[in-house]
Amino acid sequence: MSSFFFSKVAEIAIVGLQASGKTSFVNVIGSGQWSEDVVPTVGFIYKKVRKGNVTLRIWDVAGQPKFRTMWERYCSGVDAIVFILDSADASPTSSLLMNSSLIFSSDSPRNLTQPALNYISCWAKRRSPVSRCSSFLGNKNDLEGHVPVKDLIRDLQLDKITDRPVSCYSCSMKSQHNLDIVLQWLAGRSH
Amino acid sequence: MSFAMAFSKKEDESGLSSYYNNKTTIIQEARVFNESPISPRKCRALLTRIVYLLYVGETFSTQESTTLFFGTTKLFQHKDSALRQAVYLTIKELATTAEDVIMVTSSIMKDMQPNSEVIYRPNAIRALCRIIDPSMAQGVERFFKAAIVDKNPSISSAALVSAYHLFPHAKDVVKRWVNEAQEAVNAKSGGYFGSVSTGSGFFGGGSSQSGAQTVPSSSNITQYHALGLLSLVGGKSGAGTTLKNAMALCMLIRYAAKVMEEDPNVQRQMVELLEGWLRHKSDMVNFEAARVICEMKNVTAAQLTKSIAVMQLFLSSPKPVLKFAATRTLAALALSHPASVAACNVDLENLITDSNRSVATYAITTLLKTGNEASVDRLIKQITGFMSEISDEFKVIIVDAIRSLCLKFPAKHAAMLTFLSGVLRDEGGYDFKRAVVEAIFDMIKFIGECKEQALSHLCEFIEDCEFTKLSVRILHLLGIEGPKSSQPAKYIRFIYNRVVLENAPVRAAAVASMAKFGVNSTDPKLNHSIAVLLNRCLDDVDDEVRDRAALYLKVFKTQTLVEPYIKEDSVLSLAALESKLVSYVKDTTAAAQPFDVSTIPKISRAQAALESARPSTLDTIGVPAAKKTSSSPPPPTAAETQSAYAEKLAAVPAFASYGPIFNSSAKPLPLTESETEYQVTCVKHIFKEHIVFQFNVSNTLPDTVLENVTMAMQTEDAGLTQDFVLPIESLSAVTSPGIAYVSFTRDEPEDYATATFQCTLQFVSKELDPSTGEPEADGYEDEYQIEEVELSAGGDYIVPSYAAFGAEWDRLKAGPSVTETFGLGTSVESLKAACDSIIEVLNMEPLGGTEVPTSSSVHTLQLSGLVTGGGGKVLVRCRMTFSQGVGVTLELGVRAEKQDVCQLVVNAVGG
Repeated sequence: MSSFFFSKVAEIAIVGLQASGKTSFVNVIGSGQWSEDVVPTVGFIYKKVRKGNVTLRIWDVAGQPKFRTMWERYCSGVDAIVFILDSADASPTSSLLMNSSLIFSSDSPRNLTQPALNYISCWAKRRSPVSRCSSFLGNKNDLEGHVPVKDLIRDLQLDKITDRPVSCYSCSMKSQHNLDIVLQWLAGRSH
Repeated sequence: MSFAMAFSKKEDESGLSSYYNNKTTIIQEARVFNESPISPRKCRALLTRIVYLLYVGETFSTQESTTLFFGTTKLFQHKDSALRQAVYLTIKELATTAEDVIMVTSSIMKDMQPNSEVIYRPNAIRALCRIIDPSMAQGVERFFKAAIVDKNPSISSAALVSAYHLFPHAKDVVKRWVNEAQEAVNAKSGGYFGSVSTGSGFFGGGSSQSGAQTVPSSSNITQYHALGLLSLVGGKSGAGTTLKNAMALCMLIRYAAKVMEEDPNVQRQMVELLEGWLRHKSDMVNFEAARVICEMKNVTAAQLTKSIAVMQLFLSSPKPVLKFAATRTLAALALSHPASVAACNVDLENLITDSNRSVATYAITTLLKTGNEASVDRLIKQITGFMSEISDEFKVIIVDAIRSLCLKFPAKHAAMLTFLSGVLRDEGGYDFKRAVVEAIFDMIKFIGECKEQALSHLCEFIEDCEFTKLSVRILHLLGIEGPKSSQPAKYIRFIYNRVVLENAPVRAAAVASMAKFGVNSTDPKLNHSIAVLLNRCLDDVDDEVRDRAALYLKVFKTQTLVEPYIKEDSVLSLAALESKLVSYVKDTTAAAQPFDVSTIPKISRAQAALESARPSTLDTIGVPAAKKTSSSPPPPTAAETQSAYAEKLAAVPAFASYGPIFNSSAKPLPLTESETEYQVTCVKHIFKEHIVFQFNVSNTLPDTVLENVTMAMQTEDAGLTQDFVLPIESLSAVTSPGIAYVSFTRDEPEDYATATFQCTLQFVSKELDPSTGEPEADGYEDEYQIEEVELSAGGDYIVPSYAAFGAEWDRLKAGPSVTETFGLGTSVESLKAACDSIIEVLNMEPLGGTEVPTSSSVHTLQLSGLVTGGGGKVLVRCRMTFSQGVGVTLELGVRAEKQDVCQLVVNAVGG
């Protein structure tokens, strides 16, 4: 009964390009199971995850191009949007130079060489509701050559965002590295 | 749907509910889908209203349904099973209009997991097949295979039905599920006590999917669905004995009927099987078996007895459905087996007063077919009693039955005409009125005594007729029949009234009709009055009406124009016109010259009417519409086959320079017996300077392939030079028939060269390796003798065409002509035999019924034809005498536009 009174809820939308680890993220925080073969999501999967007295309602939206237009529908009204990036994407770190100004300011873009991040940032800027809390997860940091978190913050210019809570972590679904912090941050969005 | 519409009409009367079930209101209220937390009760109510609106025919735009659809996807976060079922129902309905419905695929698949013991698993399966992308069918294959053989019948049925719907989009994938479907057919039912529930969650309001009471289905409906899928996929069922579900049995009976139709050899066994089902404990199965027997081809009276006994039982059943089904089948059967159906007459009489008017209608129409002349009056009186109570559709059935009755019992025409004119005054739609008018048309045509009476009924009808098409047809008929009546003048008032009161098409028809009175009448006073009336029409606002009036006035003044413009009794053969026009339009070079109508053969009006005749009276009435779907498509018309040939020829580059085809054989001529191993038919195409023989060759041997198939043609006649032969490279049973061409040049294109060809099929025969299906490397050369091909006057150079013989014969008097006398010898035994062989040899149109000799000693046969390639008309007059011992003596008179043609005809008869 006490848990009923003190329970909190957070609604979360997870977006990102295909094969960046969205469904894995949900599986890992939900049941702790990580698997190499995850069937590509068609549309979306809804999952409820309980951590302590916090219930996370998670909309795990598919990342293939034909579904990207539909992200918006599942991002309105949520308490937090989680962007998952594949930080071990084959492109060299130097080309990760995507301008976070794209995301949150109106400066003109430059050096857009990494298409995945480019797409995410464009989308985040144009479509995502302005007042939402956002978290950027650089996934797959167990792999060689991933982008370190400070590079990610620099490239995304996340330090310049002052009007809402933003977080950025480098993590790994496989090794579950840093996932506890991510969960903690998400729990903090609950109400 | 009609029920739902009626329901919504009732709903509309109260303002509140029309607001409540209003599209705009519902779209606004769809906000509840996004609320947090979700209220399952509110959402379910709203989903119900959406589905309700769709059912009563409301349409949502793509935008609206997409919004609603994405709203409902938000509801996947709630576990309430009743809500989830409602969500699936709504998704299925919205799937057709909303965009991006693929979005819920993964969510649905989660509900479909074999381990999820949830009540909505069947709903999920059924929704999935609506939203899935065919390319993803493979991805769900594992789920479906498991679901089809699931021991829960709801899940199994859902999977089978979904597979049925998926089949057109993903044939190959669904085909692989045949074994599972077979297993479902044979599955033992009952004894299932899993977690399936029939809707207890609907009323609970809360989440109650676990521990719901189980109601095991005992209907074996899965068998029905599985059988349906199997037959669609084309698998063999062979499960006659294990089927317990009545619907499945009915379906099996229908398949049995189909098998019987395709293979008459199995009819005997099948009938035995069907007769067994006549004693099944379910009415449905009894009826289905009885119906199939009744609708069987060539069914005998003895075979019918048992089925009719079953039907007779149904006739006295308290259930309207059974009565309807039985009367409907009997009504159809009465066409072919009135005597057998007559056994039920007593029971049918009782049904005339049945409160269900559809049953009564079928009962009456059946009685009309089985009854005798004496009962007609009584039946008609009874029909008149309830005519106003039945729908148009059934009125049409009754009117058609009366129409056939008129022709069967012409003596009763007075009563029937009164009945028809009575119902003509009733309210009714176009189809009904058309049926009545056509029935009266038939009476006018076939029963002379009632003509004037019927015409005056029609006149009265057009006074107040809201259907332009019918008015025009009646006016046309008045124009033809009116002038022949005793008092033509009395119709003119009715016709002229149309000119004053009606719309343009009717006015134009009225003008044409009036003119026919004027032309056909010898009374100068009447002619003058008509001219006055037509003069008034010159001021009409519509140009067609004015044009017609002006044309007819001109014709009146110049009597020589009457013959070609008004009394003209021939029309162009539409089939020939169509094929010529098609080739004219396709041939770009032909456009330089105007289309030549004179090359089109003509046919008489009577013949044209015969060709376009609606299915005549007695054959069609009361045959249930379902029958039409099973019949094969109509055979291609002559014009269609001709243009099909032309297309094939056009595809051969070697013939590109030959120009347009003058004439192709009307029918392929078989050159072999129909059951030989190689079958050959020949089609001849006449070009300006060439003749192409098209040989359609079929190889019926499944394990042999013929290569380099050619046709060797040899002739002793002069005038033709062979150009080349186009062989068939390879011909197996699968690729048959193939086409080989032989082309000849006409040495003198002006001449009509005739010839007889010896034909031999030459080819290399190779065995097919049974293991690989590939032909073996070595074959042997072989020949196959076939019948001779003749190139002759009739059929190749001359085609039948209608003409007014007397006038044309006189007109061609000055032209080339030939007269010769032949003794046909004693082998021709009568004038009729002589006529038949002349018509066959010349392939010309016999005119004025002269193909049937009236005297046994002297006869004149008149023939008319058209020479291909712009050769003009040709007329033949055959004067014949017959005397015992000498045989038939023939004086052949030919008149044509070219001397060559005359000679061609004479040679054809003489040679």
